Amino acid sequence: MTTDTTTGAASGDRGTPGGAGNDPLRPPEPIVPTTSSSELRAVAAQHGLQQMGVRPPLRAYIKDVVSRWAFIRVLGTATAYSKNQNNYLGQLWAVLNPVLNAVTYILIFGFLLNTNRGVENVIAFIVIGTFLFRFVEQSVHGGARSIAQKSNLIRSLHFPRAVLPIAQVVSLLATLVPSLVVMCAIVLLSGLSPRYPTVYVTWQWLLLPCLVALLWLFNTGLAFMVARAVAITPDLDNIISFVLRLVMYGSGVIFPVTHYVSNLSDGVQAVVGPILEYQPVAVFLYLGRSTLTQEPNIPPDPMMWAWAAGWAVVVFVVGFIVFWRGEERYGRD
Amino acid sequence: MTESDLHLDVDLDAELDPEDLVDGPPVADVGEPVLVVDDLHIVYRVFGGKAKQVAAAGNENVREAKAPKRSFVKRLLSSTSQHVGAVSEVHAVRGVSFVAHHGESIGIVGINGSGKSTLLRAITGLIPPHQGAVYAAGEPALLGVNAALMPQLTGERNIWIGGLALGLTPKQVEERFDDVVDFADIGDFVYMPMKTYSSGMGARLRFAISSAATPDILMIDEALATGDAAFKARSKARIDEVRKDAGTIFLVSHSISTIDAMCTRVLWLHQGQLVMDGPTDEVLAQYKKFVRAHREAQTSGRAGGVAPRARQKPSRTGR
Repeated sequence: MTTDTTTGAASGDRGTPGGAGNDPLRPPEPIVPTTSSSELRAVAAQHGLQQMGVRPPLRAYIKDVVSRWAFIRVLGTATAYSKNQNNYLGQLWAVLNPVLNAVTYILIFGFLLNTNRGVENVIAFIVIGTFLFRFVEQSVHGGARSIAQKSNLIRSLHFPRAVLPIAQVVSLLATLVPSLVVMCAIVLLSGLSPRYPTVYVTWQWLLLPCLVALLWLFNTGLAFMVARAVAITPDLDNIISFVLRLVMYGSGVIFPVTHYVSNLSDGVQAVVGPILEYQPVAVFLYLGRSTLTQEPNIPPDPMMWAWAAGWAVVVFVVGFIVFWRGEERYGRD
Repeated sequence: MTESDLHLDVDLDAELDPEDLVDGPPVADVGEPVLVVDDLHIVYRVFGGKAKQVAAAGNENVREAKAPKRSFVKRLLSSTSQHVGAVSEVHAVRGVSFVAHHGESIGIVGINGSGKSTLLRAITGLIPPHQGAVYAAGEPALLGVNAALMPQLTGERNIWIGGLALGLTPKQVEERFDDVVDFADIGDFVYMPMKTYSSGMGARLRFAISSAATPDILMIDEALATGDAAFKARSKARIDEVRKDAGTIFLVSHSISTIDAMCTRVLWLHQGQLVMDGPTDEVLAQYKKFVRAHREAQTSGRAGGVAPRARQKPSRTGR
């Protein structure tokens, strides 16, 4: 057992606080508080002092977050901007990145493997899938790093920490909007190709902003959950990309996964089928495709909108509460 | 000896002379309690630290995060424990209690690594306590040059982010924007990314941003130590201004003369524990004696009791 040389060795020869004793090299003994914790608590209560570093009640917390909306907006847009400022093409990459991402999958799954698996317009299918899924994927990654990345901000300023994951998703939304315009353009252009049926702009396209809004809510909820998990157990950050890859193939981002369910045995099919169809990411992709294209296998379905709204609200509310419950723990390390 | 010197980086010589102050040494007009600190403990979790070595070397502030019970898995990993599961805990503040009143200016002194800055952040509510509690009236704010913002963004964006994070409204930020830029004296550099700033410019801007809001309880962390002489004078003037509006201030500084000039009460921290708490002249007299003794001990080749214990050989500490 090793002992502290400063306090352990010479505890006998100094009793008076402030007395340097025989050895000026030693600081005085630590002060033993004369007032007990309960007395101090009473003093605090008597003068209406509030406890610091504890989680505020949920209602006050929500109010605080809402009042910081300007902060969220500025932080979000600034983060989005700073991401693409260190190269020649600058903000153009916000659009070029998802396009190149989609092109990769179109080349491999659309042309090289050339199996349409019951989809008429493969390009539109893949483009919508990859653009929308990218938003989910980046929200999860961004949420995971939102606390650690801003630890300096957390350690020097006071604000509800929920601002950070929200701002992270807002920053992604800021880059998503221009890239969605490009997505719609690609979908329309793919219809001009003689290989695919023409894509028409219908009144349904007006629903796209609603879809984005629901997806935004959903992603913010996801970001809250992973933000707390990773802030407390940083190791989880390594697992996220694998989980996301599983979700990507399991939600039919680049080919309809439900197409393969029919190959399974009946018993498995009854369990796996509905899960694959009604899990949130698949629901959002279904809606994206049904609003923008006229695929015969993906007809517009009001039920799917109900599912999407349900998922978005549930994930957001649960995520917010999960995050709030860890509020006092962020920034400890 | 050079290692020990790092830990005794205390400025005994004048940086701010008490005569610089127009109104002389401050007098406390003590009012109601505004801040109560009750048996506060702060423990950091540090990843990638070599807890075992440090703990074995006798530094009682650091210990292994995991229970000493060695499970099978633990033994399996023990040969690689430096690389797998290298998590240690640093017990930076160990059981501090005090009550601060309205109108007090409280200085916190102690050698490097004694937990001053951690204590300041904890009573601001920025670091959650491991044990104990802090009660405060209103929202304490930390004023300092360490308020690291986002280096890849322009100064302008950072002023906005900092101002809004401090709780100002967009309108208030807009109103104070020019003041902040003027005070920081960075001119058109405000439209350049902060990472291109010189360290002095960055420190000035951070200080200017953090002093844009006036809190009830103000914490100042070494803010007087940055910049050139002209900026020092300006930041001192700003602190005085803020101090008049703020009810209570806390000041962490290595400059004893600054503390002497500005504070009515001093807390002396040593290895995370409060060793003295009293009127400025009383505590500083003891503290100066302590620091001088160490200086002499070092120059005469005697490693004192506050030398970094983590580096001491176990044979000397095992009593």
